[in-house]
Amino acid sequence: MTDSKPITDFDRIIENCACSYCGNNCDDITYLIKDNHIVGVRNACRIGASKVISDQDQRLKNPMIRNKEGILEEVSWTKAIDETVKVLKESMRPVMYGWGETSVEAIKEGLKIAMKIGAVIDNQSTICHGSTIQAFQNIGHPVLTLGETKNRADMIIYAGTNPMEDHPRHMTRYTAFPEGLFRPNGRKDRFVMTWDPRYSNTAKCSDKWVKYNHDEDYAFLTALRMAVNNHKLNKKVIAGISAEEIYKIADQMKNVECGSLYFGLGLTQTLAKQRNIDILIQLVQDLNKYTKWAMLPMRGFFNVNGFNMIMTSITGYPYGVDFARGYPRYMIGETTTIDLLNRKEPDVFMAVSTDPGIQFPGQTLKHLIDIPVIQIDTHWGPLTELADIVIPSTRIGVETCGTSYRMDSVPIYMKKIIDKPENCKSDEEIFNMILNKLGGKN
Amino acid sequence: MEYILKNGIVVDPVNKINCEKKDILIKDNKITDKVSSKAKIIDVTGKLVMPGGVDIHSHIAGPKLSVGRLYRPEDTRRGIKKCSEIDGFEAGYSLPTCPTTGYRYTRMGYTTVTEAAVPPLEAKHAHEEINYIPNLDIPTLVLFGNNWFVLKFVKNNDIKNLALFLSKWLKLAKGYGVKVVNPCGSEAWGWGKNVHGLDDPAPFWDVTGREVIHALTQANEMLGLPHSVHVHTNDLGHPGNYHTTLETFEAVKDIKKNKNVKRDQILHGTHLQFHAYDGTSWRDVTSAAGYLSDYINKHDHISCDIGQITFDETTTMTADAPMEYDLYKLTGLKWANKDIEVETSSGLIPSIYSKKAPVSTLQWAIGLELFLGINNPWKLVLTTDSPNAGPFIRYPRIISWLMSSKKRDDMLDNEVHNWAYNRTDLGTFDRAYSWEEIAIITRSASSKILGLNDRGHLSVGAKADIAVYDIDVDDFDPTLKENSSIIENKLLNSLYTIKNGEILVNHGKIIKLVDSNHLWCNVKGNEVQEEKLIKNIKPDFNKFYTVQYANYKVPDSFVKPEERYDVNTKIKE
Amino acid sequence: MKTITLKSIKYSRIPLEFDDIIPENIYNWNKSDFQKYKVYIGNTKKFITDYFSIDIKGSANNPNECTIVIDTNGQKIKYIGLNMEFGKIIVNGDADLHVGAQMKSGYIRVNGNAESYTAREMTGGTLEITGDVKEYCGSSYIGQWRGMSGGKIIVKGNAGKQLADCMVGGEIFIGKNVDILAGIHMVNGFIQINGDLGKWPAGQIKNGTILVKGHVDELLEGFILKEIITNPLINNDYVFGRYLCFTGDLSVKGKANIWINASKNKHLLE
Repeated sequence: MTDSKPITDFDRIIENCACSYCGNNCDDITYLIKDNHIVGVRNACRIGASKVISDQDQRLKNPMIRNKEGILEEVSWTKAIDETVKVLKESMRPVMYGWGETSVEAIKEGLKIAMKIGAVIDNQSTICHGSTIQAFQNIGHPVLTLGETKNRADMIIYAGTNPMEDHPRHMTRYTAFPEGLFRPNGRKDRFVMTWDPRYSNTAKCSDKWVKYNHDEDYAFLTALRMAVNNHKLNKKVIAGISAEEIYKIADQMKNVECGSLYFGLGLTQTLAKQRNIDILIQLVQDLNKYTKWAMLPMRGFFNVNGFNMIMTSITGYPYGVDFARGYPRYMIGETTTIDLLNRKEPDVFMAVSTDPGIQFPGQTLKHLIDIPVIQIDTHWGPLTELADIVIPSTRIGVETCGTSYRMDSVPIYMKKIIDKPENCKSDEEIFNMILNKLGGKN
Repeated sequence: MEYILKNGIVVDPVNKINCEKKDILIKDNKITDKVSSKAKIIDVTGKLVMPGGVDIHSHIAGPKLSVGRLYRPEDTRRGIKKCSEIDGFEAGYSLPTCPTTGYRYTRMGYTTVTEAAVPPLEAKHAHEEINYIPNLDIPTLVLFGNNWFVLKFVKNNDIKNLALFLSKWLKLAKGYGVKVVNPCGSEAWGWGKNVHGLDDPAPFWDVTGREVIHALTQANEMLGLPHSVHVHTNDLGHPGNYHTTLETFEAVKDIKKNKNVKRDQILHGTHLQFHAYDGTSWRDVTSAAGYLSDYINKHDHISCDIGQITFDETTTMTADAPMEYDLYKLTGLKWANKDIEVETSSGLIPSIYSKKAPVSTLQWAIGLELFLGINNPWKLVLTTDSPNAGPFIRYPRIISWLMSSKKRDDMLDNEVHNWAYNRTDLGTFDRAYSWEEIAIITRSASSKILGLNDRGHLSVGAKADIAVYDIDVDDFDPTLKENSSIIENKLLNSLYTIKNGEILVNHGKIIKLVDSNHLWCNVKGNEVQEEKLIKNIKPDFNKFYTVQYANYKVPDSFVKPEERYDVNTKIKE
Repeated sequence: MKTITLKSIKYSRIPLEFDDIIPENIYNWNKSDFQKYKVYIGNTKKFITDYFSIDIKGSANNPNECTIVIDTNGQKIKYIGLNMEFGKIIVNGDADLHVGAQMKSGYIRVNGNAESYTAREMTGGTLEITGDVKEYCGSSYIGQWRGMSGGKIIVKGNAGKQLADCMVGGEIFIGKNVDILAGIHMVNGFIQINGDLGKWPAGQIKNGTILVKGHVDELLEGFILKEIITNPLINNDYVFGRYLCFTGDLSVKGKANIWINASKNKHLLE
């Protein structure tokens, strides 16, 4: 890292690796290897690098089952898989949740289990960009790949998102800073605007910060859309912004050559939820009458989008897919994990490469105390304390190869870099073992 | 395995067999003239036997499909059905899920389906989806018409390097052929614009659609790829666009076909129906099918498929993104768009074709006019540009229309809006397709045009891809209008679909699933030159793209099982 | 007339799915038909008689002569009256998700509260709820741009968020208050709200009428005051008092009328 000396003590360099942290999926990472350990990471951001380097802390290394005394004890793979299969077979309303940090190859095997046992299979969309997908479904889907911004955009807007902290290389590698064909001077050729109630680090390095009142995104965006369509605004101040300012923003947006709009959970999780995105999509659709605009959600986990892709390919629905009847059903609020847990429906909960312990609201987690919980993951976390069966897996893009989908749905094939811990198995292998024991076709 | 398909009524146009009683012998994955006594006899006495269906243009895998499925759950819901232990479930109507696509095509007796538009950047995704589609051979056509490197080569009139680029990029994307969509128009959409006609240059590039099509056709013939360039011409869906279509056909007339290829055409014009409009606006629009049929009747360098409207609520999807935005402005339905760096843009929108709507019926009639006006069936292929003009499960219905002029007249008189009658010549055609002609436009012509010479016929040594339909050819009159629903039903559910010598469908039920083959084209002999080219363009590649060159290609593991078509063409240095 | 009474006798935490239990399917069933019938519960099917006592009175020659009474006893039951076209269903207790969804005709009464997606994509018939409804009452399926297109929903209590999303036709009456974002993307139809209405109703509304007798938090930009009328005639009924008539949503060239009680909404005139 920047404040330490360059690393010279390594015996192997692997280039063009893909990072397994955020939805950027940066594929220009160089790993320095010594004795099957990653000792250095080049090109990655601090979070991505630290996630790989200090990765062995609190690693799950052996399968465990909670015994009668309530203590997790190490068991053999056979025992752990047998117990998992037994629990799944007896279950009437199993939920298989997670998948954001595993490969689509593993998800495909997991999906076979869900179909076989009639489970609900769902991912982190249900707590983050699910509202975005819902709005896409209702209104439309004008998106782009990141290179369109890099090469063409002379205006970039970050709405309700703070990439400087959660997608650190977004601005430097893909959007604001890099040189592109039609933007040879990089950052100098672009105007960056941030819409955020807070003065975030992204706002700090933008050319303009638009501050609006918390929870009033819908009113702000509706007014902005009116202004873009040359309507007069009735009120003098909307969502804390003056009407003049809104006219000015609308004017700026209409008078660019190519604009890109990136938005995050700051919009999807406030009062009007998916309606914020709903109106944002209409804004982008309207702007295309004047010039070129496209948008993209800032997806979080590196493969949270991959789950949506493979699910739509095979089941037709993006997340929250219920196989209780053998064919897929999808209804937000009915077949989505949080709602199922709040309604206390599930009788088995499997978490794959995710930790609901830190993601879910407390009242939702309560139900997990009453039912068997299976954790398939790489690290010890809050969920481990609730889990009845713990199965140790491997890290995609580090110990196991696999495909992931970047936030803009560009597929990235992630390499294997080092060997896995001895008694861990990849998610794909684990699901194959479960499938074989469940019986039936693969 | 060995099989004898016994006593079927065989239609095999390549071998000039027209409804003759004949046994077809199968050994392993090929058709043969000798089998051992162990061969299993399948009695198909009197039933219609054809080569397996070959679709030349359909949208079944890739990023557009994923966007479509993601944003149209209401379409997925329309086709939900629980099936057997083998096939599990079906879901989706105009946007079926990958497995469902395989099931439905197989049940229709189709064994090869071309995915018609793959952007190389997301080719991995297309191949991954192909891995989820069972039972088909799938060649993919790769989008080149708006690729920046292509535009650059065209601008410099550097056909040699353009050919090397195509050859290398087909390897990287594991693609089969060259697709051109609204050349320069999809690039202009990067700025929210479009181009109009063949000579309107792309902004900044100063290259025209005419130049792109001409250069790509030259390069395609220089390489001798099995398929010709596959062109979606400019101005799709605009009244008066037939001028552009004809100009495009004329623009490549001077180019010599490569000597080694067996196809006749040098340019395949796709979904011609959408490019056959006369008039100046949607108020005065009329059919221009006659002009296009005439041209194709008189020239041999063009082949086409139709893109027949089927009166469904479907989804349009194309790399012609500006056209999709025009549709959005017309209908206001939910609009999706995806711009892909350096390569293309694409758009989607739900579309409702109604028998009561003047424009829909006009489009429907124009499609049929083309079917009936082009005399030589070897020059055309039945498609709906699925799902653009209608989902592919409507092919049997279209066949029923083609085989019965009485059915068409009945529809003109009683079902559809009068524009179909008043603004086209559909009412003047009394031609009815024979089974032989149907076999040509659904299998034999498409195989030949694609350059897949191992299928589309039942010669000894051909691939054992065979469809048997529960139609007693000698006792069935397809010209009766009452029989059209029977034709549709029988062709939707084949009696047997055999692929690679394996029975996949038995009496309309899927009995076996096999992995689909990825068909791709490998031009051999220019590896050194290709590497030199890559070295030259790499600085630009790194500047334009947001992925590393090393991570750009489709890994070999994505295309298992594969069927590689090797082409030996050495390009002079 | 025939009355079939299903009374919950065994509780299941996982809801039961009652999409088959509509008059057209079961009007001619006798006890032994019920004994053979298995109901979906989670990923399995169980005999309905394990969970419900069945009481049948009278006889029916067609489904219109059949009334189904469901005593829920606290049991969660999904899809009550899904796709229903004939007859009556009376629910004593709370109805779970999707009650009356895609209902075509007939009558449903819930003596209690209803969950989300009540009467989603309803095309006809009448649905009465004595208690409250949750979110998306009278809305469309996800992605579908054509929501409730006919029929009548009467809710005596409150309604949750996003009432009548994409509504195309029909009538909705809400006795008490309605939460935020009602009538978004509405194309046509009539909504009457006797209580208060949460903020930002009717975004992108194209046509139709919304009548609010109580207080309205905040209107979106896109609505302008057209007129103020005393005792206006709305949906063929005179409404007493002074009413503000807003029209919009201008952003989609909408011509809908939103009638709002003037005396309780002076802030809208500022």
